Amino acid sequence: MDFIGFLVTQCLNAFSQAALLFFLGVGLTLIFGIMRIVNFAHGTFYMLGGFLGFTAVRLTGSFWAGLVIGPLVAGAIGTAFEMGLLRRLYRRDESAFLMVTFGLTLVLGEIIRLTWGVDALQVPMPSAFDGIVFLFDEPFPTYRLFLAGAGVVMALIIWQFLERTRLGLLIRATSQNAEMVHALGVDVNLVRSGIFGIGCGLAALGGVMAAPLITASLAMAPNAIIDAFVIVIIGGMGSFAGSLLAAVLVAFVQVFGNYYFPDFALAAMYLLMLLVLVIRPGGLLGKEA
Amino acid sequence: MALLELDGLTKRYGGLTAVNGVTMRVEAGEVRAVIGPNGAGKTSLFHLITGVVRATSGSMRFDGREMVGRTPYEICSAGLSRTFQLTSLFPEMSARENARLAAQSHLPRSWQPWGGGSVFREASARGDDALERLGLTDVAHRPAGLLSHGDQRLLEVAMALAQRPRVLLLDEPTQGLSVEETLSAVDTLAGLLTDGSLTVLLVEHDMEVVFRLAQKITVLHRGNVIADGEPEAVKANTEVQAAYLGGYA
Amino acid sequence: MANPKPLPASAVPSGSGKEIAGYAIAACVLALAPMLLPVFAMTLLTEALILGLLAMSLDLMVGYTRLISFGHAAAYGIGAYAAGDLLLHTGIPLPFAVLGAGAIAGVIAIGVAWVCTLARGVSFSMLTLAFAQLLYAVAFKWTAVTGASDGLAGIPRTAGPFGLTLFQSKTGYYYLVLLCLVGAFAFCWSLVRSPFGAVLRGIRENEAKTLSLGYNTRRYKIAVVAIAYALGGLAGALYSPFAGFANTDLVFWLFSGQVLIMVIVGGQGTLTGPILGAAFFMLLEHILSEYTESWALFFGAIFIAFVLFAPQGIWGLITRRKEVV
Repeated sequence: MDFIGFLVTQCLNAFSQAALLFFLGVGLTLIFGIMRIVNFAHGTFYMLGGFLGFTAVRLTGSFWAGLVIGPLVAGAIGTAFEMGLLRRLYRRDESAFLMVTFGLTLVLGEIIRLTWGVDALQVPMPSAFDGIVFLFDEPFPTYRLFLAGAGVVMALIIWQFLERTRLGLLIRATSQNAEMVHALGVDVNLVRSGIFGIGCGLAALGGVMAAPLITASLAMAPNAIIDAFVIVIIGGMGSFAGSLLAAVLVAFVQVFGNYYFPDFALAAMYLLMLLVLVIRPGGLLGKEA
Repeated sequence: MALLELDGLTKRYGGLTAVNGVTMRVEAGEVRAVIGPNGAGKTSLFHLITGVVRATSGSMRFDGREMVGRTPYEICSAGLSRTFQLTSLFPEMSARENARLAAQSHLPRSWQPWGGGSVFREASARGDDALERLGLTDVAHRPAGLLSHGDQRLLEVAMALAQRPRVLLLDEPTQGLSVEETLSAVDTLAGLLTDGSLTVLLVEHDMEVVFRLAQKITVLHRGNVIADGEPEAVKANTEVQAAYLGGYA
Repeated sequence: MANPKPLPASAVPSGSGKEIAGYAIAACVLALAPMLLPVFAMTLLTEALILGLLAMSLDLMVGYTRLISFGHAAAYGIGAYAAGDLLLHTGIPLPFAVLGAGAIAGVIAIGVAWVCTLARGVSFSMLTLAFAQLLYAVAFKWTAVTGASDGLAGIPRTAGPFGLTLFQSKTGYYYLVLLCLVGAFAFCWSLVRSPFGAVLRGIRENEAKTLSLGYNTRRYKIAVVAIAYALGGLAGALYSPFAGFANTDLVFWLFSGQVLIMVIVGGQGTLTGPILGAAFFMLLEHILSEYTESWALFFGAIFIAFVLFAPQGIWGLITRRKEVV
């Protein structure tokens, strides 16, 4: 195949991969940026999304239903967990959050296993994007194009939401000065619960989108949480733009690394993270020192 | 050669210059107050001296050795100990143990991973001595987190003292203290500082404290040194009055 | 501070004669176990002691220095594979293989720690997980050293130095494990009460202050991680000749989590607590697996409950310190 065709397909591959990574990372960075806690269960919510997508398609025949149901259910569970248990920990140090959300990972992971079993489940692609397009004489799955596009759309939506809407403003204010927001009469607890739920919902959304490509399986969770975390470390904790940049960076390193050095592709992502940590410990666009 | 020599020490954060070409000579045994309005760069100056922040340019020599670029723990080991504006202690350890850990770092084999009886004994001796000089012997066994705010500020000073430093940097030691606590703290500090064996740099907002303790005063304003000398001369300096002292003259 | 909380059991390690006597008695009881317990119980006990060693090693990081690791299974795995390889391919005496494997884990840990300590807090924790996952992925492929997905099998218990065959029997091996645990415990006991240990405590409570007092905290952190990995590796090295095999299950992230749970539920920062935690969990898993496959769910729930309501752990509850005025 000619070089241009190769370059275009691999770049589009990278962008679709970046979209997935972005979905994964943005929820985590949102939760950390605003609540200063790391949700270890993030990868499990991602996995939950994948399985919910499977069930939604089975029950309704529609992938789009899965896109709605997955995040809603995950968001509800996340919010309930935050309100019920996480809230008690705000006075304690960050390691307590890490451990409780780890406990949630085990519990939720097991519930998922009991509900769906141990086998990897294939989620069919939506018929609208179930085909192949030809770019420069190279076949390219339409679904990946859809992913790349969805990633861009999602980034724009979140950006506008944070910058332009009242709720977005509230969220940003809470991240900077929760006490002030509280003094202004806003129920900060509710905002926090909402954020946690949204973060989990975003993770699940990523899972639903990823499922047709990688199949819904129990192995999704640990790799997802690490991937999400690598994105957040490279981009900078709490930086939305950072997670976007990091997702693109990591995706390109992964896709091209996989092609040229398949055995070391796994290490490539970790090496990139290591490089960033050495040069800019706060992440590329991080606000924290 | 002065014990501490700062030459054109500067710190820029992007467009903001926090410390602008500060030049100072602090002789051994001197008690020097650094004053100035809020945002003058006093704490930034301390951060530069102790290596918490790296200077953009300029030099700082302690006992003739260049210190710019060294890590905080290297500078501390060289003999400069400091307290912080925001109280920072080991809350679950007793006051005694706080002081002991402070003293330990300046003893040989402070890292020893076994036994340590002799290290602990010497460190405790120095720590207890420091606690006594700061009047904290009565509360030595109380967890630091449960001490009164005033005692916590004094404990910070005791920890710095327990390290037997050549230069002691005190960052607003009386901040947050009540009137009685301040009076008591100043009495204690005055007792410590008068024998000339210790060189002290003191950042303070409370002018009464400054005039009681300091032999020399350096005034900072927007990162620059605008006056430097004996207390009376500084009081009379019109530029200083304009910038800061207001009705205190 | 407004509310006086009870001091955590570990705030100040003590060393009273009563305590030492207590541990000596416990060691004696354990030494007599082979004469009192049936064979299947001895197998369980051996494994419990191995896991206890692993949990105790993690406690050095978690309880004494507040370095939360989600990847301690890596230490276990390195030790297990290293011992397996040494015993399978070189035939050196068992005790040397075991100790050597532990040392290998410790040396590798220096590099791991150097990287992980570039970050702090949560980032540090996630880096430990990342490393363990990397190891997991590598172990899956590296046939020469790890046997890839099949793992290493048929790991022999070679004869000891000078023809000593004591450790080759089940009971003899139990004594090897007990010896290692007691030795490691004594080492850790001494370590946390030493000047080095005092600095670790400082790092745990206020790292910034410790740094400003003149301590190179990163070096201390790297050192404690290396020691923790060496001891964890020792545990792994004791496991693979015991079980006769080593595979990627030993490096699985869920296992890392289990070890962390043992430490927290047992009682972090006490050395003893994690050993009890390990025993508690082995027992729990043994009982639960009769009724259900979902032990992970119960472990997770118990973990959450302890973190929320009893952060001092089982041992902390037992040795509860009084309220301090």
